[in-house]
Amino acid sequence: MCAIAAPDVFGSDEIGNAVVLIEGDIPRDLEAAAKRAEGNCPERAIEIRE
Amino acid sequence: MGMRNASLDELLNHYDIFDNDFVSDPFPLLDQIRESGCPIAHSDQNGGSWMPTRHAHVVAMAQTPEIFTSREVGVIGLSPESKEGPYGGVRVPPIDSDPPEHHGHRRAILPTFAPQAVAKYESITRDLCNRLIDGFIDNGTADAASDYAQRIPVRVISMILGVPFEMEDDFVDWVRGVLETGLIDREVGLQSRMKIITFFMQQIEDRRANPRDDDLISDLLRLEIDGQPVDDIFVLGACNLMLIAGIDTTWSAIGSSLWHLAHRADHRQQLRDHPDVWPTAVEEMLRVYAPVTMARIVAHDTEFEGCPMQAGDRILMAFPAANRDPRVFESPDQVLLDRENNRHVAFGAGIHRCAGSNLARLELRVALQVWMERIPEFELIDPADVTWKGGQVRGPRRCMVRF
Repeated sequence: MCAIAAPDVFGSDEIGNAVVLIEGDIPRDLEAAAKRAEGNCPERAIEIRE
Repeated sequence: MGMRNASLDELLNHYDIFDNDFVSDPFPLLDQIRESGCPIAHSDQNGGSWMPTRHAHVVAMAQTPEIFTSREVGVIGLSPESKEGPYGGVRVPPIDSDPPEHHGHRRAILPTFAPQAVAKYESITRDLCNRLIDGFIDNGTADAASDYAQRIPVRVISMILGVPFEMEDDFVDWVRGVLETGLIDREVGLQSRMKIITFFMQQIEDRRANPRDDDLISDLLRLEIDGQPVDDIFVLGACNLMLIAGIDTTWSAIGSSLWHLAHRADHRQQLRDHPDVWPTAVEEMLRVYAPVTMARIVAHDTEFEGCPMQAGDRILMAFPAANRDPRVFESPDQVLLDRENNRHVAFGAGIHRCAGSNLARLELRVALQVWMERIPEFELIDPADVTWKGGQVRGPRRCMVRF
């Protein structure tokens, strides 16, 4: 789901598990997408720290 | 029959998910349970079960597989006969696998359903949807459920398994025999199960004699788990899974979504005017019409949220109820195609979260997009004539529309 909501922030490996594609801080232009991924994760597995 | 007029007390102690009202419109009943003082109801019907209805409870249980096991995932217990005989061990791995075996079982099928792996089915799915519509568009009417929705996932799954499309009607019969009729009529359930097993035994023999490099059955036969080749019982189980998990479920989601669009002109308009809304629209359809209810079996006596649960108790994971929990979703009963935050659990949660969700999402999106491209305006011929099936998997089975 996160890879759909924020395809530039999250991807998936060869078995479909989510992987984070960026290192360090989230670029400003991807913040909205990252927030969307956070708000759509049914497992509450994503937490964006300020 | 007739839970709609039941008292709250009756609903909380005797709910019956096969009741006509529960099947045709479960949401007011699920709302009553979730917002009562007893959001984890316990019924004595259908062999007895607990039913968590709040999102937080459902997710917590799904994420605790040590206590809430998947040794049986049917909303009604398996018949003892289905566990007997040489094929009694054929299950539906990894859905009904528990740790530690679960990990290897799931790992075995995940590559087939990774996002990049399912993307190659998009154009084939689109062609197949177009061909189905070619078949009825000149009639001006169609059954959105049986002429369209029902035919899409079964063909995609056939393609993945490498079996002929001509099996389509048999597969649909067998799957409905297991998941719908078979839950009430044990004999039908058992016969349907044996038809699935017999068919795949033949397919396995065929692949052994004529290995292929482009289908899942051949891939499964080459598979090793922890360095050991898998046995036929596992391969049969995985094939069984493809039919049981991949057909009725997605078809129900497509059918419910078309039923929704048939009576919501404003949403048809919104999809035409704002095609960028498609990704969230698909998630919203999954949220409000989550087709699947899975079960768990309690491993040992425990107390969960004040409910005294005993080893062997059955839990009905009411994903459709969790998806309308006002604690998680704003205006939960409103369908908002552009809903920003949508933590729906239509695919479950935890280690058993649907392994085929990427394929299901693709099929649902493409099926709806192609329909809306070809048939932008349509309506129900008679809302009262729509028939639903429910229990394990809920969706419309007859949904006549005109265009």
